[in-house]
Amino acid sequence: MTAAPAALPPLLALASLSAPLPALPLLAGSADYTLPFVGPGTYLIFGIVLLPVYVMVGAWFLGDPSDRFANLLGVGYLAGLTTVLWGSLLVATLVIGAVFF
Amino acid sequence: MSVDVTGVDRDTLVRPIRTVSTRYLAALSVALGMIGVWLFFYLQQLRHGLIVTNLADWGSGGGVPWGLYIGAFIWWVGIAHGGIILSAAVRLLGMDTYQPVARLAELLTIAALTCAGIFILIHVGRPDRLVTSVIPAWPTRVQWSPLMWDVTVITAYFVLTATYLGLTIRYDLHRLRNRLPNRLDPIYDVLLVGYSETEDAVVERMVWWIAFAIIIMAPLLLHGGVIPWLFALLPSMAGWAGGVQGPSFLSIALTSAVSGIIIVAAAFRYAYGWAELIPEAVFRGLGQWLGFFSLLFLWLQLQQVITGIFAAPTTLQHATEVKIATPLYWVAIGVVALAMLYVFAASLRPSLFSLPLLVALSVGVLAGTLIEKVLFVVEGLMHAHFDLYAGVPGAYTPSAVELSALVGTVGIVVLFFLVVSKVIPVVELHAIEDHGEVEG
Repeated sequence: MTAAPAALPPLLALASLSAPLPALPLLAGSADYTLPFVGPGTYLIFGIVLLPVYVMVGAWFLGDPSDRFANLLGVGYLAGLTTVLWGSLLVATLVIGAVFF
Repeated sequence: MSVDVTGVDRDTLVRPIRTVSTRYLAALSVALGMIGVWLFFYLQQLRHGLIVTNLADWGSGGGVPWGLYIGAFIWWVGIAHGGIILSAAVRLLGMDTYQPVARLAELLTIAALTCAGIFILIHVGRPDRLVTSVIPAWPTRVQWSPLMWDVTVITAYFVLTATYLGLTIRYDLHRLRNRLPNRLDPIYDVLLVGYSETEDAVVERMVWWIAFAIIIMAPLLLHGGVIPWLFALLPSMAGWAGGVQGPSFLSIALTSAVSGIIIVAAAFRYAYGWAELIPEAVFRGLGQWLGFFSLLFLWLQLQQVITGIFAAPTTLQHATEVKIATPLYWVAIGVVALAMLYVFAASLRPSLFSLPLLVALSVGVLAGTLIEKVLFVVEGLMHAHFDLYAGVPGAYTPSAVELSALVGTVGIVVLFFLVVSKVIPVVELHAIEDHGEVEG
């Protein structure tokens, strides 16, 4: 929103503020509503909450005894289960959209 | 206390898989019936919208948009904690006394987390909103939104727990394969893909690290972190805000979690004649943990009440006065206090110990923790700093639709155990192999 020009009388300036705004895409992810990437959650999720997971996966591969197949099986479980969990919800969403809407 | 279950043979371990009793079928029918009741009401909600719960918007039911759904969500996540924390404690701290119930506890974690997810799913109204609201917004909101943190950590918790179970089950399935039903071979083939006995030592080390990750993440960062932050970071709600919510939520979670394990383990012990496999000493130990966590629960409630009524900011004082004037709050406190007094008394005088009584008290504790959580959510909303909805008529009472969801999720947990116990051993083979005389 732009400030009214200084030369306008106050009432006219107020009127210009109430003029229709250009149509904005009112979506949560649109640029007008997007916050900077770095916020408290960035540090919280990637720096603190997931830290034990980084340590765990690192220890799988770097420690001893270690085995490539077992390590990849573990990573496969982590990635596969996350994908199945949200992927199945996504499929269900698409089905709901196709059937009901 | 010492526990020795080395005399138990492998056939006893797979007994649930190889038998189908009338009681089993009756339990199955009851579980399906409970789920059916919920589905009947849930279909009403899907057809007419959340208006049927009286939670449609802020301004209905005394100004309460969150109620039993959110209270039960927190409650189920809390129950989920006991499972994997107990299992992790067995691996990390060598608390082998509890090994016979470790896998039951892991399974309870998965079932309870599923139920927590269901409550979020039904609370967002249209079920597809879970995806359409979360996935597109996650990359641009996770840096600011506690709701997105919540979704992230619960997903991580669920995945870590399932990975833990998926890796540890391979050892047992391989060695018990000849005792397992052939018709389930396709499932066992998938679970055992690429298995060789040389991986055992590697997998044991891997699951130690999963236990390490979980025991830090689940209590400290989920139920003592992200979930209380959904409330504690909102200064507009006097009854919610403040750093005490982290420890308080965690104490309630651990209290209800141990209660859940006691009930599930006692049910299996009773149903399959497992007195030898899950001896009374396990329950005595779990009872003592229940007593200790109940003490923490009550102590943190005391902290909140005292700081809320003694020279507190006006709205916090009002919220606290309302809380301590609510009879149901004292019911919740009373059942937890009763359980604590009983298990401490039974510790001092062992002859007082009774497993049926411990189970009954555990049911009471679960009811008490659910009541506390629902009151926390509802009263926090009703007594916000701004009194915008003070004139809104009515008062919040859980609707039949919401109550049916509670019944349905309990049915889902029962059904989950009934089905899973027919497929995999619900007690680790390690429990009867490695379990010499263990001090607990």
